[in-house]
Amino acid sequence: MTSRRGFIKSGGLALFGIGLGGVPGFLIDAVAGTKPPGLFKRKKIMVCIFQRGAMDGLMAVTPFTDPYLKAARPTLFMSAASSGKNKPLIDLDGRFGLHPAMATFEQVFRDKRMAIVHGIGSPNNTRSHFDAQDFMESGTPFKKGTESGWLNRAVGLLGHDGATPFQGVSLTSSLPRSFYGDNPAVAISNLQDFNIQMRGNLKGANMAAKSFEDLYDQTSSGFLKETGKESFEAIKMLQKTDVRNYKPANNAVYPNTSLGNSLKQIAQLIKMDVGMEVAFAESGGWDTHFNQGTETGIFARNVNDLSESIMAFWADMGTLQDDVTVMTMTEFGRTVKQNGTGGTDHGRGSCNFILGNGVSGGKVHGLVNPLSIENLEDGRDLAVTTDFRSVFSEVADKHLGIHNDKVLFPDWNGKTIGVMAV
Amino acid sequence: MKTSLKVICSFVFLFIAAILFSSFRNKRSAKFDFPYKQAGLSERQAAAHLLSRFTYGAKNGDVDEVVKMGLGKWFEQQLNGSIKDEQLNELLSKFEDINLSNVEVEDKYPRSAKVLRMAIRDGSIHKDSVNKGDRKEYRKQLQNYMQTKGLKPQQELYRQFISQKILRAAYSNNQLHELLTDFWFNHFNVSLTKNQCASFVPAFERDVIRPNVTGKFSNLLLSTAKSPAMLVYLDNFSSSGTSASMGMKAEEMGMQTMQEKSFQRRLKNRKLRQLDSGMLNKVKKLQANKKKIGLNENYAREVMELHTLGVEGGYTQNDVTQAARVLTGWTLAPMGDDGGYGAGMKKIVEKIGADNLQKRGFVREGDFLFVPTRHDNGEKTVLGKKFPAGGGYQEGVELLTMLAHHPSTAKFISRKLATRFVNDNPSPKLVDAMARTFSKTEGDIRQVMITMVSSPEFWSKAALREKTKSPFELAISAVRGLDAEITQPYQLFTWINKMGQKMYYYQAPTGFPDRGQYWINTGSLLNRMNFGLALASQRIPGVKINLKALNASHEPESAEAALLTYSKMIMPERNLEETVKRLKPMLNDPELGSKVEKAAEKAPVQQPVATMMNEDTELMTDVKKKDAVKKNSDKDMLAQVVGVIIGSPEFQRK
Repeated sequence: MTSRRGFIKSGGLALFGIGLGGVPGFLIDAVAGTKPPGLFKRKKIMVCIFQRGAMDGLMAVTPFTDPYLKAARPTLFMSAASSGKNKPLIDLDGRFGLHPAMATFEQVFRDKRMAIVHGIGSPNNTRSHFDAQDFMESGTPFKKGTESGWLNRAVGLLGHDGATPFQGVSLTSSLPRSFYGDNPAVAISNLQDFNIQMRGNLKGANMAAKSFEDLYDQTSSGFLKETGKESFEAIKMLQKTDVRNYKPANNAVYPNTSLGNSLKQIAQLIKMDVGMEVAFAESGGWDTHFNQGTETGIFARNVNDLSESIMAFWADMGTLQDDVTVMTMTEFGRTVKQNGTGGTDHGRGSCNFILGNGVSGGKVHGLVNPLSIENLEDGRDLAVTTDFRSVFSEVADKHLGIHNDKVLFPDWNGKTIGVMAV
Repeated sequence: MKTSLKVICSFVFLFIAAILFSSFRNKRSAKFDFPYKQAGLSERQAAAHLLSRFTYGAKNGDVDEVVKMGLGKWFEQQLNGSIKDEQLNELLSKFEDINLSNVEVEDKYPRSAKVLRMAIRDGSIHKDSVNKGDRKEYRKQLQNYMQTKGLKPQQELYRQFISQKILRAAYSNNQLHELLTDFWFNHFNVSLTKNQCASFVPAFERDVIRPNVTGKFSNLLLSTAKSPAMLVYLDNFSSSGTSASMGMKAEEMGMQTMQEKSFQRRLKNRKLRQLDSGMLNKVKKLQANKKKIGLNENYAREVMELHTLGVEGGYTQNDVTQAARVLTGWTLAPMGDDGGYGAGMKKIVEKIGADNLQKRGFVREGDFLFVPTRHDNGEKTVLGKKFPAGGGYQEGVELLTMLAHHPSTAKFISRKLATRFVNDNPSPKLVDAMARTFSKTEGDIRQVMITMVSSPEFWSKAALREKTKSPFELAISAVRGLDAEITQPYQLFTWINKMGQKMYYYQAPTGFPDRGQYWINTGSLLNRMNFGLALASQRIPGVKINLKALNASHEPESAEAALLTYSKMIMPERNLEETVKRLKPMLNDPELGSKVEKAAEKAPVQQPVATMMNEDTELMTDVKKKDAVKKNSDKDMLAQVVGVIIGSPEFQRK
């Protein structure tokens, strides 16, 4: 095991955070008495958002000129032409229309900072959520036994000893499959909880913390000692800012949703310079078998949350935007034809969004053929024309500088499609 | 003469047989030879080591008891696993659904999609109201529907299931069987994250794993292969041969997939037919294609890679495909009404008639069904062994038995057991010795365990305290060490999840990795410390401890005395010098008392005001207050000491 120690860099911790309150006494003592943990030189950060449940890519980004789609979705099809009562799709390029609830994406798309890949998915045609998510997160679409997840391997391939406990962070209660593996990754559902806690007894907590710190410092077990040290340094790093009263930059307003809160905390971690390079968040509710709605309804609510959360994050990043690329992913798409209950069933290809200053934006990448039956996969679904590994590996390569696809995606030989500009 | 010779001969024979038999018996129940003295351990230290590896943590007084009983006898008793568990059974009896069969679970705990389908069909919910309008109202409607039908949400089943695991681990007298149940479940991992198999998981642990934990490995393997949980988790239930290889008509195979159903629905849809007149042919072609890819290799691959041979076990992709063909037709028996699992099989079984199943080559055992019409009848070769055409169900059994007895399996399983019970990197010598026993005894797990404990490696320095407790083990060992009374086991699960082990929810078929480093990261370690503090200061609802009672109602005279007493009690036979040395300064903080007092003064003290309606009220409450403050600070101090011990590095090791 490579050493994860040694990230106490000298100098670093200007005591600017102390005045903000919420810093336990022992930390002040500790900071005064020992070498403080240092700031990390900010590196590039990839933020992945997994949309669990399989997003209907054909409704998010609709090939609205397609007569087959219109016929297959009598009550779900939306048009780009404005009519009196309904909000139209946002015409992106004369062929694809963005769902009106995602209007905030339009500007970044026009500014060429957002790319969309349509017809993206897995070569394994399973339509089981579990299997498809498992394959996408392990990055090995035909192999269940792969122990590690692709994001964990990505952390391992960054090419430098992270020496920070925060190199890979998942804003979830437990580590997602994507982060399974031997490289450092931590699951945090709430930054405020990242401390020694004794409710209503701050002094007690401080004393306990001091005792723990001493105990772990002297233990004979190597990795307990190491990790103990990291834990306390991590606490100190997080204490540099007032996590509770965070004020996003540029008046960004995060939706008060699970995804909104996750992205807000990712933004905080980025600004704290804790050395995070891969971040992960989740969004749920995409399994729309029943009444998925059109410009309003459950699907509209979901895409609205997705786009508002991402755009609040983007605004909050402000001058740091160059360092960050956001990528969404979902396990598969949904049937071309709507079902008997106003929804759609499990399908194959979907679409994803990539946001960043380095993307080849303003374009719907990939291949979406006319949705006539002979073009559909198994006679029913939008065909997968772009392997998710092609896009994931390109983003990881161009943004994070990870070149070793054979490790990132062991069975992947295919080409990239140019979703990144540089 | 002849007869008497015969008689003598037979006497001699009987005599020899009796000696042989008794020596055999002696061997079985013989005193085990545990070479702990050679490793420089005292009997008490050896007992503590046994307890740390073969229980979920020593309880106060356990070391004495093991020494008194004798180490060998104690271990044998644990292997047998038949000590009465009345107290535990009493606690478990409160969880009414932990003994439901798969069929009963299907009926009582339907998946939410199925509930919705039923509710719509019965007219209790209008399909247009789903996801629309008042969601609260909609949820209420659904709840009402479930109540009137006697249905329960699946979450409740899992809550009971998880609770029983926690109670068993904390209170069972047959600790080793609990540990082995955990070990083998993890080895043959199935997951609650996969909805389709989730409701079968409780019965999987109860009926498939638990009864087989010290028996023959082949029994475990076979029963897992035939269990609904595994069949669905690794998809083998849907795997079938090609129509050509089976010589059957497609519709007899009962394998209409979702896709095909939807093709047929589409066929009925005139609008789309107008769109493409050539569709019919296409659908037929697609259906034909579908039949060709009826094979699913998931289970065949994992059974070799993860359950038996190991990834370096010497099999090829071709072996995987061939093994998958051998195991085609292994699926679930029909269960439940209203389109429950095995619904596809139901029609076929009904058509043939239960009495004729056997004649037609079906095999039905409980929830398992072998369907000959889905089985690939051709010849196969796996790992060089030929399976002649027409082997049916039996060739699957043969294949699994062969895998169970394979030399690679002997090594793979031995290494895994040694990794769990000895240390993270067991020595090849130990693994070889265990593998030899495995092979000699045709995979007798009990014998392999005995070889392991009788080895010098088990008692060596490289093993002592070298394993890191998993979050589950940490929580349970703390509860046992403090003799806690658990009334809400699920509360512990929440903490165990926070510390990084969401039991039964591990998604990958590998199961949780068994390595210290896996469990310990910055976030999880902090939560371990916080768990210790929360438990000791009684902030985990439904988990009660009485620190004073634990120390035979003696209140330690000083903080230092508390530290010594409780560390020894919670971690018997350990060298605690360093721990105590490091913790002393915290206790000797001269301001400790006043600091805690100050904190306590700020907190409102419960005042028995109602009974004190006289003039002395003020004075009385003042005195009481001071007393209470003193009491509280003592209690706080004690809780803090114990909390820090539980969160200490030493307690993370076993």
